[in-house]
Amino acid sequence: MDAPRLKDAFTRWATAMDKAAPELNELDSRLGDGDLGVTLQKCAHNVRAALPVAPDSVQGILKSASQACADASGSSFGTLFASGLLAAAKWLDGRSLNRAALSELLSHAVEKLSARGGASLGDKTMIDSLHAIAQALSQAQPQDDLAAVARNAAAKAIEEFRDKPNRIGRARMFAEKSIGMDDPGMVAVLRMAESL
Amino acid sequence: MKKILNAPSAYVDETLAGLCAAYPSSYKLAGARVLARAGGPVPGKVGIVTGGGSGHLPVFLGYVGEGLLDACAVGNVFAGPRVADCVAAFQAADGGAGVLALYGNYGGDRMNFEMAIEELASDTFKCSTVRVADDVASATAAERDKRRGVAGMVFAFKIAGACAAAGGSLAEVTAAAQKAADACRTIGVALTPCTIPESGRASFEIAETEIEFGMGIHGEPGIWRGPLKSADALTDEMLGLLLPELNLAKGSSTAVLVNSLGATPHEELFIVYRRVAEVLGQRGIRIVMPLIGRYATSMEMAGMSLTLMPLDSALEGLLQAPAGCPFWKV
Repeated sequence: MDAPRLKDAFTRWATAMDKAAPELNELDSRLGDGDLGVTLQKCAHNVRAALPVAPDSVQGILKSASQACADASGSSFGTLFASGLLAAAKWLDGRSLNRAALSELLSHAVEKLSARGGASLGDKTMIDSLHAIAQALSQAQPQDDLAAVARNAAAKAIEEFRDKPNRIGRARMFAEKSIGMDDPGMVAVLRMAESL
Repeated sequence: MKKILNAPSAYVDETLAGLCAAYPSSYKLAGARVLARAGGPVPGKVGIVTGGGSGHLPVFLGYVGEGLLDACAVGNVFAGPRVADCVAAFQAADGGAGVLALYGNYGGDRMNFEMAIEELASDTFKCSTVRVADDVASATAAERDKRRGVAGMVFAFKIAGACAAAGGSLAEVTAAAQKAADACRTIGVALTPCTIPESGRASFEIAETEIEFGMGIHGEPGIWRGPLKSADALTDEMLGLLLPELNLAKGSSTAVLVNSLGATPHEELFIVYRRVAEVLGQRGIRIVMPLIGRYATSMEMAGMSLTLMPLDSALEGLLQAPAGCPFWKV
């Protein structure tokens, strides 16, 4: 993964977030305050504006995208997403983002997100999706399409957690009601993986 | 949605502009979404910052003032403030004696303030944090650290602000704020929802004849939902939840806040206060400086909350110390 390809990926990501916004708002309104789509749309808007002036390195682009998301919103998901990007940027420091590094980088981001947001694996959040993707990537064969591996892992995680209760955040207060419902943050990760 | 506004997206910024235009000797903007004291940080005084979503006036930003807060990071309606605004709030409050971050126990607010503190970390920047978690409906007493911060924040602001104004060190101001946060307990009841300007949606749905006991200030679910009860029955049920958690023996003193969530009028608040005074009087508990009015709201939500904060002589002195912001004078 080099800088131009990462910029392209973020551009596709931004388009995907715009497209997913109504769906994510709707899902979030059943358990939360219904602003997940709006939040990610604001992030997408800021990232799109930041990309042309971002430094020409993978690390620089990740840092710019993180700042753009942090400036977009104070909502928890936006802040967490921004801190995940920043953790990734810091972890990269000098390393190159190749196939082997991807899974390690994601695992590192999951750890940092968990420490920042207080969610653990199993709480039915985006952390569970990212962890599932990291696991799947670490087991991928050389001939596998990594984007497809990530997409499938994200979709599988949603199915696996559908009938479990949310254990953290605002959705925790609706724990019973959340059984049978897809976590909006996990769906957001799936939409992101689909845009890769 | 029936609201007096220009554009939903301008709701917060135009509110801030109006506050500064109305009270230029009290407030100024110290960042895109930061309200600070007009005179800037007070040299040598411990600064106190808070932050949180809009839609709760006078909470949070309204309490910037003498004997109260120094700066507030302001988020969108019911959303946390941005990290950059938390950073700017710390800077606007720092008079060289350290800064206390004092805010409600919400995940988003906590993350944003923690990230701001990491960003500001240096040898010269001293800060501490106290989170208020007074809503007894939001978790059991055993899980107090999961409770939400609601109207009890007003007492924590007052106590910490008075300690800082009296020249307290960062450790002393932090301890006073923690003592207030540990002491106060709140329970609320919601009658009707409010509408969030940007989404145009009601914060929750409820039947015309129903109320929700224990509901949070953003429409978080409470303890039960059912038919409306009399003011006395509601007050008794509220006191029945608060008093067992508080050590209020005969002859002890307490602060009382009967707070409107926005639409509930003073008349109804006084009907409730009448019963609170009666019940506490029967138990030989002295009420100090009762507060009745709109202190922590959810825009046009109808409903009220009751907060008690048992007082020792130190807390009583800090509660009654002079303080002033455009919304409240002591």
